[in-house]
Amino acid sequence: MKRVLYLFFIFLLLLPSCQKESPEKVKLHFVTWKPNVPEVWEEIYRRFQQRYPEIELIREIGPHSSTAFHDMLTQKLKNRSPDVDVFLMDVIWPPEFASAGWAMPLDDLFPPEEREEFLEGPIMANTYRGSIYGVPLFIDSGMLFYRKDLLQKYGFKPPETWQELVKQAEVIMEGEKSGGREVYGYSGQFKQYEGLVCNMMEFILSNGGHIIEPDTGKPALSKARAVEAVRFVRDMIIGRIAPRGVLTYQEPESLDIFVQGRVIFHRNWPYAWSVSNDPEKSRIAGRVGVIRLPHFPSGRSYSTLGGWQVGISRYSEHKEEAWLFARFLTSPEIQKLIALKASKAPTRKALYSDPDVLKVNPQFKDMKDVFLRAYPRPRSPLYPAVSHVLQRYFSRVLSETDLDIEREARQVDAEIEKILSMVR
Amino acid sequence: MKGPRKGQALVATLMVLPCSLFVLTFAFYPILYSFWLSLHRIILGLPQLGEPFVGLDNYRDLLHDRVALRATVNTFVFVLSSTALELLLGLIVALVIHRSFTGRGTVRAAVLVPWAIPTVVSSQLWRFIFNDKYGLLNFIIYGGEVSRYKAWLADPFYAFVAIVVADVWKTTSFAALILLAGLQSIPQELYDSARVDGANAWQRFRTITLPMLRPALLVALLFRTMDAFRVFDLVFVMTQGGPADATNVLQFYGYKKMFAEGLMGYGSSISVVVFLLSFSVAMLYMRVIKVGFLQKG
Amino acid sequence: MDKIIRKRLSSAGFFCLVGLIVLLSLSPFFWFVDTSFKTEVEVTSVPPVVLPSFSLEFYRSAITRYGLLHFLRNSFIVASATTLLTISLAALAGYALSRLKFPFRVGLLKSLLVVSMFPQISIAGPVWRILYWAGLLNSYPGLIVPYVTLTLPLGVWVLTSFFSELPEELEAQARIDGCGYLQTLYRIILPLSLPGLFTAAILVFIYAWNEFFFALLIMTQRRYQTLPVGIALLQGQYTLPWGEIAAASTVATVPLVVVVFLFQKRIISGLSAGAIKG
Repeated sequence: MKRVLYLFFIFLLLLPSCQKESPEKVKLHFVTWKPNVPEVWEEIYRRFQQRYPEIELIREIGPHSSTAFHDMLTQKLKNRSPDVDVFLMDVIWPPEFASAGWAMPLDDLFPPEEREEFLEGPIMANTYRGSIYGVPLFIDSGMLFYRKDLLQKYGFKPPETWQELVKQAEVIMEGEKSGGREVYGYSGQFKQYEGLVCNMMEFILSNGGHIIEPDTGKPALSKARAVEAVRFVRDMIIGRIAPRGVLTYQEPESLDIFVQGRVIFHRNWPYAWSVSNDPEKSRIAGRVGVIRLPHFPSGRSYSTLGGWQVGISRYSEHKEEAWLFARFLTSPEIQKLIALKASKAPTRKALYSDPDVLKVNPQFKDMKDVFLRAYPRPRSPLYPAVSHVLQRYFSRVLSETDLDIEREARQVDAEIEKILSMVR
Repeated sequence: MKGPRKGQALVATLMVLPCSLFVLTFAFYPILYSFWLSLHRIILGLPQLGEPFVGLDNYRDLLHDRVALRATVNTFVFVLSSTALELLLGLIVALVIHRSFTGRGTVRAAVLVPWAIPTVVSSQLWRFIFNDKYGLLNFIIYGGEVSRYKAWLADPFYAFVAIVVADVWKTTSFAALILLAGLQSIPQELYDSARVDGANAWQRFRTITLPMLRPALLVALLFRTMDAFRVFDLVFVMTQGGPADATNVLQFYGYKKMFAEGLMGYGSSISVVVFLLSFSVAMLYMRVIKVGFLQKG
Repeated sequence: MDKIIRKRLSSAGFFCLVGLIVLLSLSPFFWFVDTSFKTEVEVTSVPPVVLPSFSLEFYRSAITRYGLLHFLRNSFIVASATTLLTISLAALAGYALSRLKFPFRVGLLKSLLVVSMFPQISIAGPVWRILYWAGLLNSYPGLIVPYVTLTLPLGVWVLTSFFSELPEELEAQARIDGCGYLQTLYRIILPLSLPGLFTAAILVFIYAWNEFFFALLIMTQRRYQTLPVGIALLQGQYTLPWGEIAAASTVATVPLVVVVFLFQKRIISGLSAGAIKG
């Protein structure tokens, strides 16, 4: 019995050490998520290996949900795990990674003149207290997809304001219903998660409101503009034209009813373009239009900045090779490849006038305008905590229709202020 | 006489030592450690701030934390409603599978299946059934009338109900089995003599079955209560605590605070409160139940 | 005559009830198994497709694109190691608790019962920090250690109750023949209580196979994730792969269902062991 136990302990002790490998080539660990077009990434890795045969690239593949990926990556970094050299960062992470000392500052490697070749929003998002911590790989930003055919049928132009959108949606819903077809007006992402913050921020900013005022750094959800926008979403969008199910939708579910042809207007990231125009996945291929998000009469259109960055771990033992790979990934060549094969929007400005890219992705031409305006979410190393407060607030006021939004907002402002004051 | 007894105690101590060490290091020590952590401000994302001692600040904040309050209420409502339903349905199931009929073994095994399924799997399964566009439940209620389909998990009330249903489905069988064991320990003669006295089925149930089943009922109640107290998987998979925190429960909230928001100190104060709450509930039960071996010693 | 009809009716009603219970117990999971054999289109179609086209596409994709076999392997390693370790330690402790007299016997039994009721969150932070300190996050031992701690109460209780039911005369004989306690344990008690060991092992294995909370916390690298974590996190940012989720769920559950059908008697006796003696 004892011997068995003893052997077993030895067995346990041996387990982790079995994973070690011989150190001939430089092993570069890249932490990434499951891509939805794996072929492109295979191609990228192949090209990299061809060019740098002395580096062996090892992929550590995490879940493709931002929150789950964040938890995995940060735990590795907290562990100072040596099996992270290069990693992908969501646009909201650089301040956190910078102040925690996980991401290496890239100021010398990535000088300002090179940064100018990139779109401004993503660069801003990668900068924290004067230093830059990541290289933008591709950009995401919220945009409005719509059913070209339906709008044409009822003689509408794509809406400029949210009010127009609601009015058009109601007319079309009514008209279609009398023809025996049931359609919804709007779908977006309103589940209690990060995407909810993105969606709501667009409404608030496009009404001239703010989540955190840029000048003072104070939370501003209880200001009239912000409250008004939230109330509009509750009463006009979710209450009238969207199915109540949107309160449980993340990107896939909201896109799903759009490609089924059951929604007129749909808010999503650029990837929705290729999905909704793919006849294999979509019933409305070729009948989709895209435009920047509407705004309120007194505001202008804003969309939330999303997208992924390449960062390097401060604990990496192969920083030089890590930079080679990071630069390779964000080079014009690879960004173009990703744009052509995966329809991800590049962060290098020049690619928006590249004829090949525009030929495959005609929508980028319309989108460039949106990308230039993409607005980052509050930048704070405590953003995760702030975001959770926001998620709860938005979810609460949207799903419980009898709440006093202003009162709730005042409390939320106080909560956020408390979190922010911890790092001031 | 003294010699062998002393030797016995030594041997016994050595035999329980490994087990005790595990439990001390990874269960009791962490409880104390949690309390220690809860007196500090620890932010995982900001190691440069250190881990300053803040006294009872975290607890003061917790008192004013409305989400924590909501999560506490939700947890208790969940515990009460799910255990009540599980015991009630469990009793029915137990009475049925107690009777002997051909194929009883298979029926018992079938009843056990939900209990054996990983909770993550049953959570995904029910999320699929409650789906607002192609869920089975909507089809059963509304048939092909897609426009009437309800978004169950979008509604604070129904989302909560959904979680209770998923839990009841999975764990009723556990309650049923405990109760079944209780039923089997009731001597048949009691029923026979009651029948001779002319008691009808309901009277027999009330005067014999229920009182004799009391210990089993209490045990099932204890285990189910404590288990319902730590509901997590269902919430994580089905709703992530939404909509509007309607399904947020203590264990999920504590997890989010500690590991998603990185507020280790504050999260620990939630841990301590959860521990104290569940510990006092357990103590309450334990006073009522006298468990087998404890008396023998 | 009337009586016969009534009896027939009531037994018909009884079998309806049995049928209903079996239906409610099995049909939800059956629906997921059904779903795992459908095609992409069939999964979301309304009205739902009952008879799938028996496509194995979702299984293929769960294995090749989502690493199902990895999860399966990890689950198997963690659950078996936990079972082995827990049962060994629990057998030692259970023997002492059922046969020997020592000072803090009742205290130990009570504290084990308390441990079995801890909400995981009340020890999660410290356990995470201890494992972090020991460098055991994302390693098999890192998950096995908390699992052993949490399953020991179950193992000890089941085995203690089994051991105390064995007649003491057998051991008395062995003791006279000069066997020590340990020898008595593994020469006499263990062989006789194989059914008990087996029962405890099944229960511990199922616990470790199904556990999610600590696995989520400790196994952040996909390389080490167990089935429940894999299934919970299968959903991506841009996809909701119901078919693959159903396939992975089927793979995770079918072994357990088989075990349940083969050993339902054992499991039932194990679950109620000790509990019903008040």
